[in-house]
Amino acid sequence: MPILPDTEFLVAHYMPYTELPAEEADRESLWVDIPNSLYDPKKGHDLYGRYFHEAVLAEKLGFDGICINEHHATASSMMPVPSLIAATIFAQTSKLKVCVMGTPPNMDSPNRLAETYAMLDVMSGGRLEIAIPLGTPMEYWVNPVAPATARKRHREAIDIILKAWTSREATSHDGEFYHYKYLNVWPRPYQDPHPPIFIVGSGSLETVDLAVEYGFGYASTFSPIAKQLQALDYFRKKTTEAGRAVQPNMFPLTVMTYVAETDEQALAEFEEHAKYYFDFLLRPGEFANLPGYIALDELRKRGGHVLPKSHGKFDWDDLQDFYRVAVGSAETVTNKIEKWSEEVGSSRIIFEVHTGDMPHWKLAKNMTLLAEKVVPELKRRRDAAQTPAQAAE
Amino acid sequence: MNIAQNIKTPSMEGFERSEYSVAGTKTVVYSIGSGDPVVFLHGGATFPGFEFARSWARERKVIIPHHPGFGESGDDDKINSVHDYVLHYLELFDLLELDRFDLAGHSFGAWIALEFAVEHAHRLKKLILAGPTGLVVKEHPAPDFFKIRAADLPGYLTADPAVARSLYPAEPDVDFLVLAYRETTSLSRVCWDKPQGNRKIGRWLHRVSVPTLLVWGEHDRFCPIAAAAAWEGLLPNARLEVIPGAGHLVFEEAPAAVDTAQRFLAE
Repeated sequence: MPILPDTEFLVAHYMPYTELPAEEADRESLWVDIPNSLYDPKKGHDLYGRYFHEAVLAEKLGFDGICINEHHATASSMMPVPSLIAATIFAQTSKLKVCVMGTPPNMDSPNRLAETYAMLDVMSGGRLEIAIPLGTPMEYWVNPVAPATARKRHREAIDIILKAWTSREATSHDGEFYHYKYLNVWPRPYQDPHPPIFIVGSGSLETVDLAVEYGFGYASTFSPIAKQLQALDYFRKKTTEAGRAVQPNMFPLTVMTYVAETDEQALAEFEEHAKYYFDFLLRPGEFANLPGYIALDELRKRGGHVLPKSHGKFDWDDLQDFYRVAVGSAETVTNKIEKWSEEVGSSRIIFEVHTGDMPHWKLAKNMTLLAEKVVPELKRRRDAAQTPAQAAE
Repeated sequence: MNIAQNIKTPSMEGFERSEYSVAGTKTVVYSIGSGDPVVFLHGGATFPGFEFARSWARERKVIIPHHPGFGESGDDDKINSVHDYVLHYLELFDLLELDRFDLAGHSFGAWIALEFAVEHAHRLKKLILAGPTGLVVKEHPAPDFFKIRAADLPGYLTADPAVARSLYPAEPDVDFLVLAYRETTSLSRVCWDKPQGNRKIGRWLHRVSVPTLLVWGEHDRFCPIAAAAAWEGLLPNARLEVIPGAGHLVFEEAPAAVDTAQRFLAE
């Protein structure tokens, strides 16, 4: 079956710092305790320039939006404050949506985060989308939030943000963790009542429940397909039970993508960067083992480890077989996307177009082939499959 | 299913087990021996066991509750301060009909015992604080427990890391990992952001008028021995016994520590 009507195509860019000295390859962790003496601000400045240029290119090539995220004290990201990244992209574009996916609301003052996002939404004329994460275990080592309280604070912070955005007069909040005598965002969001919201999850059903309870979308992180589908089934079942319909844009399909002339060439051009990303950049060391972060039954399911032991290890066969990775010719990638978008029933497709230390020319080639070959072919197949009656509607 | 019960070591054979409900939280209490009661409050993990209690039990009834969130006791996420534990034990000691008794604690358990003594000294006859945490000694800070790598932990627990390692399961054990994670989580509710202890407790230690024994391993890397003088100086009726060659798990590593405490209880 072809892609759905009104399918939106977004790119995701995680803006890593890619200039680490090669001799750091043996470090146990590139997260939390990485010395910032390894960060060269001049190289960082150049990278920001390049990455913003790439965001602008995404708009020029006709993508609907760009997804950015937040991580702290890690070489894998230069976006500890993604709202600043969003503001900069908005200023350089006119149509592109930015999905900030996003700031863990318990790591900011919830009211201040509601204000930040509202400002971005007004400044951009309603181009903001947000996805709310709990944050990886690693973030809690560098933020002053006791991890055992993380989930409760997360929930209360979401309540505060929603209350601030939906109330049209000054209100207040008195909860377990936060107290606001007056809660009053000014500016209020451009979109009424607020920008589209997703909950970010890695498949744990507790997080799916949260999305369903609030009626938000559910955005899977990079997690095995089987786990994503399990989360989707559960999301559908629970949303239906709640008396609502699952909209096709509520469960985005996120695919790590690289397109080249042939399958062989794509893999040859892509592999070293995936290896760099998984083997090197994502290495969390012992910081994944954070007390209080996950429920004990979930920990037991994971064999007593907070993050899968594969985190920070590259295995190409494993990636190909179990994850949404589409690396190949335009036809190979088109076929995979078509199959997966049907499998998920999603009208929101996110291409992770930049992996590891991919140079600009590869990213530009990748995005260009996606925009000029893959997306048009997906649309052509959809239009061709339409019956004349449908087409006339 | 209680994860702690799946773990076969340490052996609790010969101990009597009973369950109480304290403000709705299941509280498991082990006891052994007979005679005047001494309550022992364990540290931040139950896996080292309570073998030392068998010696004390020759003369005394040793009562060992598992803290909420530890061992076989239930979880209660409303308990997130040492003061909450003090209130929990105030009620448990009432349920156990302990009027005046001896109280001992190790590590995190010594912190609870210390704050209990500050608030309820009149309930106590004697106090034993072994490898204690709780008092902030700025000049001699302790390492942040949560930052210690798992692989380095045995070297922090005992002066000879092999002693601590012998207390771990021989094979990788999911039950053990889950229990350790749960207990570290419970500990983190109390002191994730104050691993050095209670910044305000020092100004109240003059209230601990009961005879107090500080049992301290010479090579304790968790609670550096250099901080002992500050404890001794602030507690009005305290004596320090340094155990040569021992680390933090002083009762597991040094029979001399078990004997010293036993003699103090008998004085």
